[in-house]
Amino acid sequence: MATGSNEPKSRYLQYLEMVTGSLEDKRRYRQYKARIKQLPEDYRTAVEAMERYLMHFGPADGAGAMAMYEDLADLFERSAADGTPIRDIFGEDPVEFVEAFMANYPIGQYRARERNRFTSAISRAAGEDTARDDRTDR
Amino acid sequence: MGKQLTEMLKGTLEGLVLAILSGRPAYGYEITAWLRDQGFSDIAEGTVYALLVRVERRGLVDVEKVPSEKGPPRKVYSLNAQGRAYLEEFWTTWSFLAERLERLREGGK
Repeated sequence: MATGSNEPKSRYLQYLEMVTGSLEDKRRYRQYKARIKQLPEDYRTAVEAMERYLMHFGPADGAGAMAMYEDLADLFERSAADGTPIRDIFGEDPVEFVEAFMANYPIGQYRARERNRFTSAISRAAGEDTARDDRTDR
Repeated sequence: MGKQLTEMLKGTLEGLVLAILSGRPAYGYEITAWLRDQGFSDIAEGTVYALLVRVERRGLVDVEKVPSEKGPPRKVYSLNAQGRAYLEEFWTTWSFLAERLERLREGGK
């Protein structure tokens, strides 16, 4: 899972990415989109449906999200080549599959924030911790 | 496959797949086919794939990309030393669980 060079970024690139977000992530995302475009229509439709779900509940950006999309493209390219029926990929309950898949990557910001808030609220209620901790960077 | 089996499989599929890989390296499609053959007929290819991604990320398997006549290269998974240690632990846990359940069943008669 090599993700480009390890050279330090130029100062210019650092500032630029503050504004635009990571260019490397953008490139990887465009590459993923191009791979999906090549799939037979029914597989493409299925991936796009899954992508919508992941956008809502999964990691929205960052290297973790890009690794997720690349793994997704790997699965569907292989399945299309093997002619695996869509139902066989997703099983009877597609939600179960998408949740199991998503659990491999960093959790989305919204979920992370609420989980932290919930965990620290219980700590406070249990009288264990008085410091507020609602940050998402866990 | 019944709902109950599906539920029980959730906690054990990882051990099951690692046990398959302890015999010989395999790719995702082969593993799913084997599981279906063994009576886990409703298992989703995607679920097995998600699991393989997980064990790969946790460093329990080594992955080799093997060219295929059609489509992208196949990822062939093999159990490494860390995976073997993990599988040992799985069997210990499994024995504990099976033994306790069996004791309950006998006591319930």
